[in-house]
Amino acid sequence: MRSETPRPGGGRPWRALLAWLVAALPCAFLFAPGVPAAAEQTPQTLVENALMCYCGCTDLMVRTCTCGTAARIKDDIAQRLASGQTVDQVIEAYVAQHGEKIRSAPTRRGFNLLAWVMPFAAILTAGIWIVVRVRRWAAFGAGPPATVAGAPRTLPLADLPGADRKRLDRIERELRQDL
Amino acid sequence: MAEFGTLCLFLALAASAWAALASYNGWRVRSGALVLSAERAVFAAWGLVFLAVVALERLIFTDRFDLEYVASYSNRALPFAYKLSALWAGQSGSILFWVFILCCYSGLVVLLNRRRNRPLMPVVVATLSVVTTFFLLLLNFMARPFVSLSHPPPDGMGMNPQLQNPFMAIHPPCLYLGYVGLTVPFAFAIAALATGQLNDTWFRTTRRFTIVSWFVLGTGVLLGGWWAYVELGWGGYWAWDPVENASFIPWLTATAFLHSVMIEERKKMLRVWNMALVIMSFLLSILGTFITRSGIISSVHSFTRSDIGPMFAGFLGLCTIFSIGLLLHRVPMLRSEHRLDSFVSRESTFLFNNLLLVGAAFAVLWGTLFPIISEAVRGVKITVGPPFFNEVFVPITFGLLTLCAICPIIAWRRATPRKLLEKIQIPFWAMLAAGTSLVAAGIRDVYAIVSFTLSTFVIVTTVMEFYWGARSRRRATGEAPFAALWNLLDRNKRRYGGFVVHLGVILIVIGVTGSSAFKQEATAALRRGETFSIGRFSLRLEDMESQDTPNHEFLGARLAVLDTGRWVGTLTPGQNFYKAGQDPSSEVDIRSTLQEDLYLIMIGFDPQEGRATLKAYLNPLINWIWIGGAVLILGSGFAMLPDLRQRRRAAEARLQELQPHAV
Repeated sequence: MRSETPRPGGGRPWRALLAWLVAALPCAFLFAPGVPAAAEQTPQTLVENALMCYCGCTDLMVRTCTCGTAARIKDDIAQRLASGQTVDQVIEAYVAQHGEKIRSAPTRRGFNLLAWVMPFAAILTAGIWIVVRVRRWAAFGAGPPATVAGAPRTLPLADLPGADRKRLDRIERELRQDL
Repeated sequence: MAEFGTLCLFLALAASAWAALASYNGWRVRSGALVLSAERAVFAAWGLVFLAVVALERLIFTDRFDLEYVASYSNRALPFAYKLSALWAGQSGSILFWVFILCCYSGLVVLLNRRRNRPLMPVVVATLSVVTTFFLLLLNFMARPFVSLSHPPPDGMGMNPQLQNPFMAIHPPCLYLGYVGLTVPFAFAIAALATGQLNDTWFRTTRRFTIVSWFVLGTGVLLGGWWAYVELGWGGYWAWDPVENASFIPWLTATAFLHSVMIEERKKMLRVWNMALVIMSFLLSILGTFITRSGIISSVHSFTRSDIGPMFAGFLGLCTIFSIGLLLHRVPMLRSEHRLDSFVSRESTFLFNNLLLVGAAFAVLWGTLFPIISEAVRGVKITVGPPFFNEVFVPITFGLLTLCAICPIIAWRRATPRKLLEKIQIPFWAMLAAGTSLVAAGIRDVYAIVSFTLSTFVIVTTVMEFYWGARSRRRATGEAPFAALWNLLDRNKRRYGGFVVHLGVILIVIGVTGSSAFKQEATAALRRGETFSIGRFSLRLEDMESQDTPNHEFLGARLAVLDTGRWVGTLTPGQNFYKAGQDPSSEVDIRSTLQEDLYLIMIGFDPQEGRATLKAYLNPLINWIWIGGAVLILGSGFAMLPDLRQRRRAAEARLQELQPHAV
């Protein structure tokens, strides 16, 4: 009698161990020989990321722009921070001088809050609608399960172990539907 | 030659307008002669636009600076390849190139459907011709490429130095092929709606056009990123610039369509939604063009501000009203024939995948347009830059990655939660292993950990699909392992090509995560012999170099690169000073490995002090973005290969249908 092949992901501990190794090896390769330091967030970089460069030649943040204007802004930010101003104070000083356009992102207050909320609100609303609709469809339109027997088979499956038979059956069925 | 070009464009406009009118009227009065005349006019318009393109190229190559376009975007020293790409370097030339591609698509559609889809073709031709006519109107009256100068300069101003890059020569044609290609499924969708022939013919006919458009648009976006990386000299590849976003948004909706159309094929569901997605993708491609050319939103990529913006806005508005009106009119005829069997099924995951893809497109569009909304409502100009897009887009991407992992392993129609849990055991353990390994290795960036672990989840589920499928086939047929794998792939190119595309996307995600979360940078002003460090690399300024070419003069700093004290090569970042007098452009130098890029820019050189100001970036895993792009192209190409077996079966079926009549 043919022994039953374990299900994919069936509960043998060596499979979990194998999966661990399979996933851990690429990670070890990618980050060898040392773990890269995550991008540093100092007060200087926080301000540089919060402001756009106004040089006019690019639409880049002060942090990423390489022009002379950006270099001067970076020096000025460093001086302001060294003189004891906080990150928010430095940003506000630039906004007072150049207007809100200098911020790299809208604030999370007042009308600007809409910018942040709207995408997630839209996705959430549509998601709830889909869940309600699909549940209703599923309740009224339930048919036989996909794994039900009866579909003609095109390959000699009788001798296959259970898991392979089901899998190949599924693939063949999907292939037929595609055609 | 300029007069000849002008005449060609005028005649092309007449031919295209005739094609639109004759085709529409031919459909209304059922006149085959009018429809045939319209189809011939499509070819006439194609030939005339082709001649106009040849005329403009000839004027560029012969340095005819008495033509405004040639004087503005070319000069004598411009290399051959860039004289060719000067065609799309400016506003009017790029619109001419756009129309040429649209005419090519239109001609191809007419050619391929001479004996097929005849009830749809009059409206298809009319729709394509209306779009062509609009662009030809722009070329004839608003953005004319053949305008002469009364006082021609001795030499032209030359092309923008940043456009003098091989990627920039290929990137716009790819984007245009993608943008314009979306007009074909739109035309068939409009034809299906107008004629009421709402069966699956329209999307089966245009499926290959849609995949090709999606594929070239995606390739164009990637090439644009590559160009930005090697040319713009800020160490990045994507700045969420409005023009970049404009190309990304229709790609997202086209991706949603390519997924949801599978549900329509199998279950005859989501028919209104699929129509809406095709219409949306086309309208977004026009919106993208409007954003690029109107100057309504400031962007580094924008063409010169011109007065064609209102024309685009008007055309976009008319297209929106007309297509949505037509869709609403046909909604009763588009009701689904089937319903979902279960909440836990592949169909459901496709619905949520569509939700997130369209949600992502909406989020990017919303962020891109919000400055205009803010100015209109509050009267205050604001900027919506990378921090906004990163914060909004990353959670959506995580949702998409999760669906990308679950979708291939969940059954169609109905899957039991128990079976689903069984199937995700191995991927789940692999995901957990990746996460704990990353934490154990000292990584603390939460976004990076989530991104890498979800990527592992997707890779393992996808590879498992290949492995289990091939193994089952081998056991069933007794084929050798590789033969079983090949036959499995060959039997369903779309399915497995799609999985390869998923793998490509995951590699891109890995590259983006690594290069964003672990990027390092350092700046220094060095004299000869001085050194500065970034990560494990030390960089020593050896000498300054200069090189003179007919087009520009190059000044660069030669640096020795030492990896943990060991010499590994030299890099020479510099600047090009163009003889046509434009601003200098940065010429970065990069040391690329699979692990990371060492990216060097020379910001400036002070000849009096002999000091070069240099900026260095260390971009981990960045090359996986380009490798992922190559995998994506490979997968798309495989999915697009014709299925010879399917064709043979169809031919046999037709033969069987004919046999009784023959008897």
